Amino acid sequence: MNVSIVPALKVLRPAAMLVVVVLVGLVLGYWANATFVPGTSPEQPIAFSHRIHAGENEIPCQYCHTQARRSPSAGVPSVSKCVGCHNEVATERPQIRLLLDYWANQQPIPWIKVHDLPDFVHFTHKRHVLAEIACQTCHGPVETMDRIQLTSRAIDGSTQAGHPWKMGLCLNCHRENEVENGTDCLTCHK
Amino acid sequence: MPNIERREFLKLIGAGSVGVGAGFMLRESAKHPTEYLIPHVVAPEDFSSGIATWYNSVCSMCPAGCGISVRTREGLAKKIEGNPLHPVNQGRLCALGQAGLQVLYNPDRLTEPLRQTAERGSTSFEKITWDEGLDQVGERLDLLRAAGRGNRVALLSQGVRGHLAQLFESFMQQMGSERLLHYDFNHPHTLYAANQRFFGEDRLPYYDLQNTRLLLSFGADYLATWISPVHHSLGFGESRQGRPDIRGKFIQIEPRMSISGAAADEWIAARPGTEGFLALGLAHHIVAEGNYQGADRADWVTALADYSPSQVAEQTGLPVTTIVRLADMFVDIDPSLAIGGGAAANHSNGVDTLVAVNVLNYLVGNIGREGGLVFNPEPSGPVSRRRQASYLSMLELAEAARQGEIDVLILNSTNPVFTLPAAAEFRQALAEIPLIVSLSSFLDETTALADLILPSHTYLESWGDDFPEPGVGFSVGAVSQPVVSPLYNTRATGDIILALAQRIGASNAMPWNSMEEFLKDGWRQIYERGDAQTLAQGFDAFWISVLRAGVWGETTRRNTEFTLERSVIAGIGVQTPEFSGSEEEYPFILHPYLSPNFHDGRGANLPWMQELPDPMTSVVYGSWVEINPVTAEQLGFTEGDLVEIQSPHGTVRAPVFIFPAIMPDVIAMPIGQGHHEYGRYAKDRGVNPIEILSPQIEPVTGSLASSATRVKLVATGRRVKLVKTSGMSRDLGRDIVQTTGPTGVEVSSARPNSIPITEVTS
Amino acid sequence: MSLFSRFMDSWRKYRKPGYYDEFDYHWTMAIDLDKCTGCEACVTACQAENNIPVVGEKEMARGREMQWIRIERYWEGEFPDIKLRFIPMMCQHCDAAPCETVCPVGATYHNQDGLNAQIYNRCIGTRACAVYCPYEVRYFNYYDHHWDSPLDKQLNPDVTVRGKGVMEKCTFCIQRIRQAKDLAKDDGRRRVRDGEVQPACVQSCPSKALVFGDRKDPDSQVFKSMHDPRNYRVLEELNTDSSVFYLKKVDA
Repeated sequence: MNVSIVPALKVLRPAAMLVVVVLVGLVLGYWANATFVPGTSPEQPIAFSHRIHAGENEIPCQYCHTQARRSPSAGVPSVSKCVGCHNEVATERPQIRLLLDYWANQQPIPWIKVHDLPDFVHFTHKRHVLAEIACQTCHGPVETMDRIQLTSRAIDGSTQAGHPWKMGLCLNCHRENEVENGTDCLTCHK
Repeated sequence: MPNIERREFLKLIGAGSVGVGAGFMLRESAKHPTEYLIPHVVAPEDFSSGIATWYNSVCSMCPAGCGISVRTREGLAKKIEGNPLHPVNQGRLCALGQAGLQVLYNPDRLTEPLRQTAERGSTSFEKITWDEGLDQVGERLDLLRAAGRGNRVALLSQGVRGHLAQLFESFMQQMGSERLLHYDFNHPHTLYAANQRFFGEDRLPYYDLQNTRLLLSFGADYLATWISPVHHSLGFGESRQGRPDIRGKFIQIEPRMSISGAAADEWIAARPGTEGFLALGLAHHIVAEGNYQGADRADWVTALADYSPSQVAEQTGLPVTTIVRLADMFVDIDPSLAIGGGAAANHSNGVDTLVAVNVLNYLVGNIGREGGLVFNPEPSGPVSRRRQASYLSMLELAEAARQGEIDVLILNSTNPVFTLPAAAEFRQALAEIPLIVSLSSFLDETTALADLILPSHTYLESWGDDFPEPGVGFSVGAVSQPVVSPLYNTRATGDIILALAQRIGASNAMPWNSMEEFLKDGWRQIYERGDAQTLAQGFDAFWISVLRAGVWGETTRRNTEFTLERSVIAGIGVQTPEFSGSEEEYPFILHPYLSPNFHDGRGANLPWMQELPDPMTSVVYGSWVEINPVTAEQLGFTEGDLVEIQSPHGTVRAPVFIFPAIMPDVIAMPIGQGHHEYGRYAKDRGVNPIEILSPQIEPVTGSLASSATRVKLVATGRRVKLVKTSGMSRDLGRDIVQTTGPTGVEVSSARPNSIPITEVTS
Repeated sequence: MSLFSRFMDSWRKYRKPGYYDEFDYHWTMAIDLDKCTGCEACVTACQAENNIPVVGEKEMARGREMQWIRIERYWEGEFPDIKLRFIPMMCQHCDAAPCETVCPVGATYHNQDGLNAQIYNRCIGTRACAVYCPYEVRYFNYYDHHWDSPLDKQLNPDVTVRGKGVMEKCTFCIQRIRQAKDLAKDDGRRRVRDGEVQPACVQSCPSKALVFGDRKDPDSQVFKSMHDPRNYRVLEELNTDSSVFYLKKVDA
């Protein structure tokens, strides 16, 4: 390795060199943020575990998300719904104590939204639930998650954690299932 | 290894770090901001997220009393539509009614009780608690009541009906005060008086536009501002194209074309104030031609002797042929209907004019028949029309204040400082009242002068009810329920009155804890009048069903037998209208009209209404003065020239708008703008023509003859740009409005529109 | 050459009115000018339903209003024989829409229900469609519009709030059509019934001048209205094959 890049450097103006370094840095920084801090699984005010509820105890999704079959939005259970069980169950655990504190103060729990669609998308849980699409199709294996995490489906159908939802997720499914007008923009865009 | 100088190396490292940091932050900033999912603590029964819930209620943007359905999502009001079950508006609603959402969510609402800390009108307020505010008023009222000086308290409200009106009534009775006034600028006093004189009925009949084949409107802008515009529009549409082979004909007589004039088949401009002569001219011709054969025909011949078409032609400035043609048409087309109101009623001879209109209906037998006018049965709920204050009563109130006879004035959502002419000196009179309390939701011109503001809920947050007058041929009641929970620390008007009643020790006579309780109590009485089927279900079920439907009606019609007293016929006649100001000095008659957008000014704080083009002129965000093109040319005015409009009682400035459908010696100005307070959207925008009106009175009712002021125009040499949408680049021109002959089959009769793209301004 | 002729073939097919061989629904509006009073209730209804911003006096003066439906007015004659004609004007949902051919990113296109669609998140703001539109009914967001709090609480969650640089226009209240279809499915029905969908303007019209429905249904009210002898379409000479029918005002 006898080749020196010094002559090349001398040819390039130092300023140009700087620009290149800054640009490489930009890409690196952007990538690092996207990879290591995806923000698709934030810490919640109460460490609610879907693994325990939906996985181990096999509580059906719609037991808590009662709206899903009636409304565009699946709905978050009211605090009273949680307390309905946790008046009796596991009342001594620290996280349940947190819940009971909210209840005692009649305060709602400020859950952080993970599954978020852009405002220009119209999605209705009702139609999908009634068409018997499994919740996991879009939400991933929720029953295995301690902390809820956004997942996305790749073209091959595999689940990829930490990936944002993209239009392809909807379109692929609509195509596969030959949904009526399933690829018309106005079906989903409002 | 390459040779890089240490200095160079550090530079590159530095640049690299900046790049990495910037990249990191770029990604971070591109992320969607954190959103929260806030659950209910306890899930409510009546709504679920993502699904709209509709509540039926009553519109109170104008006195028509339409039923509304409010769409709510997640506890927020999203849209107001007409209640399809309500017989007045049948699911339809005007622009102003729909803009009620911007009353509820107006950024300039009064959010908590306030006390004025500096002099009145300074609008420097301090926050107080409800108890402080109520105590302050309550103590004063209690002292006055105990001393038997309750009459030193006055309650001035906007026109309200139903149980709130009744609550005011009992409260003032408990206070021992007679000074309970409802004040609306456009209350049709003259129409009530004319009906009283002619029919012996101090109320409004139902005008059956839907089934009529000819409508003759003397000045009433029935499609935009007169009595019940939405109901009239429904009738208009139905009469025009709702029946096979019958197309209703509409004729409008007014000095300046209104919306109703534009919709009419024929628009006739008679001299302002002579509409009554015209009506009697028609009557003369009908009787003279032998088209009236009643037993009292001889009386009519005598009474109408002075109103032959040729005499009337001289008065009105209309050709005899037109008068004869109208009269013949009114007889030949059956059923026909004549209505009168608006500017025609706002002259010194207003009552005479409207009586003359009734004469027409009487002569051709329109009374009590389909397609004519029908008197409703009495409204089933409380009404307040005898409390409606005329201009004269307001002057009396002001005079009492000046004499120091009034200690406390309670204001409810009425704005007389804005809707009375400056000549009334109402503002100055208010200065003599020691304590002024306002229950308004907004800081309007009158509320700004209050010492204490106890802000009410808006109508979308309160309980109430309404019994629209004239209803629809049978009596209708509608309940208004809160559609959202109160946004701020405000209280319902009824609750404030009840809280004051407690403080004056009137709890025995007024035992209710809340307006809701009082309302239910009142409706229990309506329920008890019901038929067996209603009673069988029990009151609770009845109440729920009324709330669900939002409306309730008694479909019993009253027999409308009507015989005219002979003495009435002898008294028929129209006085010559009187105008303030001499014709030489003040060459123009000012025609102020209610803006369809702002009504009497109450809509001016709604941004949707400000940006809604005025239907006739397409102007937004301002005031203007309408001038006939020929007059404008003579005076050398073009659109946008700022002129001073001077009356014997004041001056306002407004830009000229060339309006092709106005008489050459009349100028018109819309009412509604020109607020000095009333929030960011209304404040300091346009001018208020009411300010310069002369205190000309209609003698029978004591109401203001608001169309009887003469003015002159003085050029200022300045110009402003009128912001409007018509005549701008979006207008298509190019024959887009096509018309056809009366049979409806000529396809080739499309005519070019005479004003296509006039000026394209950038 | 064959490539070119194939291109021309598909172009002609695309330009054929109703290039869908058959529409699924064919949403249509009929406006009876003999009933319209010009009261503008429709304008406010649309503004409330579709999150249309208030642009302010300054922008209005520059002709940058956003109301999707407007009333045009034309004077005819001279005092005293004078008439004022009103005509409501909104997107005509042309089956051969000039705007659709020009969008470089396909943000505006025709869908199977006969609607001229505008997909906001796809729009890049070239404004070409507005130039091509002969009816001048496309409105461009020159700014991000602002709602003074708490006026934003009124915003309809079923409709996007459009951002800066996006073209927008009347959608025939697609959110209401979508909801009606959803309810029809709930009932196990294949089709939406006549009268079940009413755009905000039609719903509010005090004189019932506006009628909306599916023209494929021969029993629908709109089918009857559009076959009224008084019917015409605005700027029909341009062959846009619009979906809004006007009924001539009767001059009696």
